[in-house]
Amino acid sequence: MLVQALRNIQEQFGFLPREEMEALSASTGVPLHRIHEVASFYPLYRLTPPCKGTVKVCRDMACHLKGSPEVLKSLQSIQGQLGAKELEVGGISCLGQCDAPVAALINDHHVYRGMNAEQLANLARLAAAGAELPHQHPDLSPIPWRINPYQGKAPYEALRQFVAKGLDANSVLKPLEDSGLRGMGGAGFPTFRKWSAVRGAPGKTKYVVCNADESEPGTFKDRELLRRAPCLVIEGMILAALVTGAEKGYLYIRHEYPDELQALQKEMARAAEEKLIGQNVLGTGKTFDLEIFVSPGGYVQGEESALLEAIEDRRGEPRNKPPFPVFEGLFGKPTVINNVETLSWVPAILLQGGAWYRDAGVRGAPGLRLVSISGDIQRPGVYEVPFGQTVRELLETAGGINPGRTLQAIATSGPSGGFLPAEIPINLLPPKFVKEKLPADATHLNILDLQLDLNTVGQMGGMLGAACVVYDNTRDLVENALNCVSFYRNESCGKCVPCRMGSQKLVDILENLLHGKGSRQELQLIADLGETMGMTSICGLGQVASNPITSVLKYFPQSLEKYLAPEANAKSPSAGGHS
Amino acid sequence: MNIAEELVPVILDGQVIELEKSAADLLKGPPVKLSIDGQEVEIPRATLTKDPVSGELKPRLTTVLDAAQKAGVSIPVLCHREHMTPVAVCRFCAVDVGGRVLAAACHRPVEDGMKVATAATSEKVRKAVGVLTQLLLADNQVPRKANHEYGNNELRNLARGQGISPEGSPFPKSHIDRGHDESSPVIAVDHNACILCDRCVRACNEIRHNEVIGRMGKGFTSRISFDLNDPMGHSSCVSCGECMASCPTGALTSRKMIESHLTELEGAKPVSLDDICSHPLFDGISRPFMDWNRGSVVRREFQAGEIICREGESGSTAFIIEKGSLEVFIRASLQNLETKPSSGFLGLFRKFTSSLGKSDAKPKQRFFSIDAPVSLLSSNPIAELTPDDVVFGEMTCMNNYPRSATVRAKTAVTLLEIRRNVLYLLQRNNKSKEILDNVYRKRSIDTHLRSVPIFADQFTVKEDFDKFVSLIREKARLVRLNPGDIIFRQGDTPDNFYLVRIGFVKITLKQPGGDLVLNYTGPGGVVGEIALMTHLAELKGKTVSVGRTATATALDHVDLVSISGQDFRAILESFPKVRDAMVAIALERLEDIKRQQKKHQHSPLDDFLRQGLMEARSLLVLDLEKCTRCDECTKACADTHQGVTRLVREGLRFENYLIASSCRSCLDPYCMVGCPVDAIHRGQKKEMIIEDWCIGCGKCAENCPYGNINMHPFPTGETADDPDHPGRKIAVLQQKATMCDLCESVDGQPSCVYACPHDAAHRIPGLELIRLVDGRK
Repeated sequence: MLVQALRNIQEQFGFLPREEMEALSASTGVPLHRIHEVASFYPLYRLTPPCKGTVKVCRDMACHLKGSPEVLKSLQSIQGQLGAKELEVGGISCLGQCDAPVAALINDHHVYRGMNAEQLANLARLAAAGAELPHQHPDLSPIPWRINPYQGKAPYEALRQFVAKGLDANSVLKPLEDSGLRGMGGAGFPTFRKWSAVRGAPGKTKYVVCNADESEPGTFKDRELLRRAPCLVIEGMILAALVTGAEKGYLYIRHEYPDELQALQKEMARAAEEKLIGQNVLGTGKTFDLEIFVSPGGYVQGEESALLEAIEDRRGEPRNKPPFPVFEGLFGKPTVINNVETLSWVPAILLQGGAWYRDAGVRGAPGLRLVSISGDIQRPGVYEVPFGQTVRELLETAGGINPGRTLQAIATSGPSGGFLPAEIPINLLPPKFVKEKLPADATHLNILDLQLDLNTVGQMGGMLGAACVVYDNTRDLVENALNCVSFYRNESCGKCVPCRMGSQKLVDILENLLHGKGSRQELQLIADLGETMGMTSICGLGQVASNPITSVLKYFPQSLEKYLAPEANAKSPSAGGHS
Repeated sequence: MNIAEELVPVILDGQVIELEKSAADLLKGPPVKLSIDGQEVEIPRATLTKDPVSGELKPRLTTVLDAAQKAGVSIPVLCHREHMTPVAVCRFCAVDVGGRVLAAACHRPVEDGMKVATAATSEKVRKAVGVLTQLLLADNQVPRKANHEYGNNELRNLARGQGISPEGSPFPKSHIDRGHDESSPVIAVDHNACILCDRCVRACNEIRHNEVIGRMGKGFTSRISFDLNDPMGHSSCVSCGECMASCPTGALTSRKMIESHLTELEGAKPVSLDDICSHPLFDGISRPFMDWNRGSVVRREFQAGEIICREGESGSTAFIIEKGSLEVFIRASLQNLETKPSSGFLGLFRKFTSSLGKSDAKPKQRFFSIDAPVSLLSSNPIAELTPDDVVFGEMTCMNNYPRSATVRAKTAVTLLEIRRNVLYLLQRNNKSKEILDNVYRKRSIDTHLRSVPIFADQFTVKEDFDKFVSLIREKARLVRLNPGDIIFRQGDTPDNFYLVRIGFVKITLKQPGGDLVLNYTGPGGVVGEIALMTHLAELKGKTVSVGRTATATALDHVDLVSISGQDFRAILESFPKVRDAMVAIALERLEDIKRQQKKHQHSPLDDFLRQGLMEARSLLVLDLEKCTRCDECTKACADTHQGVTRLVREGLRFENYLIASSCRSCLDPYCMVGCPVDAIHRGQKKEMIIEDWCIGCGKCAENCPYGNINMHPFPTGETADDPDHPGRKIAVLQQKATMCDLCESVDGQPSCVYACPHDAAHRIPGLELIRLVDGRK
C-alpha cells in the first residue's frame, strides 16, 4: 500500500514531508530508502512543497507540432512576473489529448485541451491566485462504434450469457480464437492464447490486470472507451477472471485521466450493485474483486511488468523476461494483462461471434481496431477502422492533410516506430516484402498504399501501434526526432545502461547536431548506439527509443545535411542500422 | 505449484533441505544440453541457492552464465556477483540466443537445445558490448578521492580486455555533476564515478540487511542515495563497508584505515596492497576493502620446529602457505577411551560433558577436545602441508570452533596470516571460494573421521586405522545444514548415516499431542544408524516402526559427514569392532525411546534446546528461589564497566532459574559472524572480546539471538564543532559494542556473581544447569 499511502500523504500536504515519510516507515516497517526510492521515482510525488499554482505543458508530438515550446516560453515570462514561489511552469509528457493540442495539466488535477498561449496564461494566473479553476466538460456521449454492442441496450449481456451457459470456458475461448483478436497495446499477442495459458497455469491464485495507462504519444483511443463506454472494459475483465480463475483484478489507470477515472468509478459502483463484481458474481459462487489502481505516473508504467512492479509498491522498472507475466506476473502469480481496447472487444465478439470480428477486416487482415490520429491532419480524433485498411484510406477518414500541404512522414506507432516517408525506395525495404507485396516493376513503396495490419507493417520493417501521427512537408524531421527521443530520455526508468545512458547520449548528440556542430562520424555513432539499445535494453522503451532518429537516418538522410558542420560534408551518409 | 504440494527432503551439494515436489524435480531432473560458441555443455537445470532476502534455500534456475563458466567460456560481467540476485542492468553479459534481442547471460535460464553465441563468435554481441562499455566510460569519472586506493576499476579493466581505451569514449561527456558526499567518516561517495550497477544496493540490503542504500530519481538523473537522500554520515549507515567492497568503480571508497593489530604479532611484516592483490587467492577482491583493512593481512616467517597454532586454542585468523612445509598433529588420545553405556537423557549429557573437558574431567577424551588446554604429543604427524594445500586454520576461522589440530613448521616457512573478515570476503569471491571450499571439504572429512571415537576407539594399530580412514574418506560427503533443517523424518526410508561434525542435532519422536524430544547429539555424535541396522540379528524385533525411528533436526549450523547406507553396511561387515560399537549405541537408544515413551512426563529438555542453552559455555543464572531482585549484580557490573551495565536482570526462564541477558559464550557464536572489521574475538577464557577498532556497526548485536550485546556511544577523544553553539566544541562519540567480558572480581568470579548477597547468581555452563534442574526434581 506504499504507492497509495504516499498518494494520501500528498493529497493531505501537497507534497511528501520528511516527517510523514519517517512516520510511514515507522508504522509500516518499510525502510526509509525503500520509501524514498518510490517517492523519488514517480512524477506524481513531490518531495518539496509546491508553488501556489503549477502549470505543466505537454511537450510531445502533436502538442509539439502545435507549438507547445512557444506556449511554454510565454508561460515562463508570466512566471517571471509572478515570481517562482507563486507559479511553477514546466513541461510534461504526453497527456493523451493529442486530438486537441496544446494540452496542459494544472495543479496536478486539471487537464486542459485545445489551449493556446493566452488561454493558458489566464489559467496560470488563476492557479497562482489560488482561485477555482474552470472545468472543461468532457464528452460523455455513448460511442457509436461496432466495439459497443449495447447501443441503447442493457450492457453485460455477454457476461450473463456466459453465466447462463454454466461458465463453459470454451464458449469464450473458441470465439476469441476464431476472431483472431490480438493485443491492442502494441505487442499484438493473441488474446485467447494469453487467457488459455493463465487458465492452464498451475496454482490457485491468479490475477487479471487491465492496462489503462495509455501514455504513448499520439495514443488516446482507450481514453474514449474508458470515459464513454467503461462497461465494456469491466465486462471484459470479469470474463477474463471467470475464464482464468482469477479472483482479483486491477485496473491500472493513469492519473492524468480524471474524467475517465470518474466514469469508471461510476460504472464500477453500478457493477457492484448488480452483483457483477465482488463475492458470488451473478450467483455463480465465484469471487471477483476489482480494484482501480491509479498510477503515480510515468510512461514506462505502460510496460506490463513495470506496471506490475508499481502495483507491488516498488519503483516501476520493467522486469527481466523470461519469466513472462502469464506464468509469473503480479506477486509472482500467473496474470492476464490486457489493454483496455482488447478487453473491450470481448463482449462484442462473444455476442456476434468470432467470425463477425475476423471478417470485418479488409484485404485478408482480421478484425477491427481503434486508431488515434493526430498531427498535421484535418480531423484528428479516434476512429474505428478495419485492419488491412491503407494509409490513404485512413488519412481520408480523418479528412486528409491540411490544404496546401503534402505528406512528408507518418508515424504509425507514435514515436516508437519512427517516421515513414511518403515513398520508400525498394532498396530500403526487406527483399521478402518487396517480392511478396509490391508489383514486380515497382521502384518505390508509396506509403499511401501500405496496408495497416500487424503482419504487413511488421514485414516492411515498421511498427503498427494505435497512434498515427502525420507530419506535413513544412516540418523539420530532425528537430521532431529530437522531440521524440527526448520523450524516451525523459521517460526512461534508468534501470538498464543502454536505455538510461543511450537515450541521454542520443539527446546530447542531436542537440549538438541541431546547433550545427554535428559530424558524419556522429551519425554513424547514432546508428551504432541505436542498434545496441535495440538489442540490449531490458524493455520495449529502450529498444525503440532510437527509432525516431535512426528512421530519419534511414529514410530522410537529406534532412540531416543542413545540420552537418561544413568540413564534414564530404560524402553522403551511410544508411543507419535501423533495428 | 499447488498450495498443498508434497514436501520431499533432498540432499544436494551437501545440503539437506525440504522442497516442494516440483522444485525437487527441477533439481533432480535430467540435465539441460546446450551449446555455447559451438561447444556442447550439459548442466543441471537448477541449483540450490540461499535466497539473499529470505534466507530460504530454494532452487535457482541455471543461467547461461553458469553454463558458460562450466564450459570455460568467458563472458564479461559487471553488475552481477554470484552471491547477489542477478539484476541484469549493465547488459555486459549480453549473448545471442537466437531471439529478437540479445539476452543477459546472468539472468537468462538455460533451455534444452539453446544455441548461445558470445562476443567470441558473434560480431553483433561484440559490437553491442563495446558500445555499452563506451557509454559507461563516457561518464565514469575517476573518483574524487583518488588519493585513496580504489585500484581495481572493473569497468576500465573490462574495457581494456576488449581493446577499448578507457579514456577515448566517442560519446559526449555528461554535463551533469551528480555530486559527492564525504559526510561519512569511513566511506567517501563520488556519484560521478558511479555506474548504477546496483551492487552496493544489494550489498547493503540483501547481504547485510542494513536497509540504507537505495536508488533515487528516475532515468538519466537517478543515483544512489541513503535513507531519505540523507548525507551518508547522517543516515542510518553503520559503516559496515560492504557497499565499498562491492563497488566496481571506486564510487564508494575508504576514507581511513582500520587499525587492526596483526602487525604487532611477533615477526609479522606488513604486506603491500599490490602484493596482496596479486596473490591468486585474492584475484577479484575489492581493493578499497583491503586498503580499509590494511593490517588484516601480515606476512610471518617461522623456523623449523616452531608451532604456528595449537589444537584447542581459539583463533580468528587463517594462514595462507607461501613457502615451506608444515606438519599437522591431532592428540592421540583416541585409543584409551571408555565406552560405558549410559542411560536416560542425562546419560547423553554426561557423555557430552566429559567431552567439554571440565576441570574435573579425566584427561581421557571421547573425541577431539573442544576447549581443553593442549600439549603437543610426540605421536606422528597425521599430515603434511605445503603451498599446494593453500590454506590452513580456516576451519576455526570460519566456524568459530577451537583449532582442531596443532601445526608445526617442518622447514622454514613463510605464511600470510589473515583475519576472519578477509576470509569472509574471500568466500564471497568465486575463484577464492572454490579453492577454499575444496580444501575445507577434503580436510574436514579427514580430520573428523580420524577424531570420532566410534571409529578411533576400535583400532589399536595405527596402520589399520589409517587404512580404514582412507577407505571411507572417499565415500564420505560433507553436508551443511541451517538451523531448523530436517535431516530425516520418522518413517522415512533410510538413506545415509551421519557423523555430527559441528553443531547440535535434535532427535524427536512423533507423539499424540506433540513431538517428544528424545535427546540431542553434538559434535562427535552419530545420527541415523538404527534404521540402517535393522537387518542385524541383535536388533531383530527391537524396532517397532518401519524406516527411521525418529526425526532428526539441526538446531544450529550443523556440518555432518554423510556416509551412504550401502557404504555404512559394508563398513559394519568389514570391521566387526565398529559393528559391535554401533550395535551397542543402537540398542541403548532403542531402550531409551521405550523408557521415554513410558514416562509421559514433562521434560525440560525441549525448553532447554529451544532456548539454545546447550550452546552456552557460561550462563549467568539467577536462582529464583534465592534471588530477592535487589539488583546488586547489575550495579556491580556497571561499577566495573565505566558506569555502563553489560547485563540486564531479565531474560528467559528455565525452570526455577532466570537466564540473565549476559553473554553465554556460545559454542557457535552467531555474534562473530560477519563483523566487517573482525573486531570480535574469543578470549583465552570463555569470554568474548570486542577490540577497540570496533566501528560500531551493530552487526554483532543484531546477530546475537539472545540480545546480549548492546551498542553504547563512547568518546573517541576527538572533538568537533558544536552545530548548536557555534564556536564551541563537543566530544565526538562513536558507537561501540559492549558485552560481558567475564570480568574477574576479588575471588576470580565475575563481579556480578561476587556481588550477589544471596548466593543466587552463578556462572555455569548450560549443561550444568540442566543437571541442577534434574537434581531438584
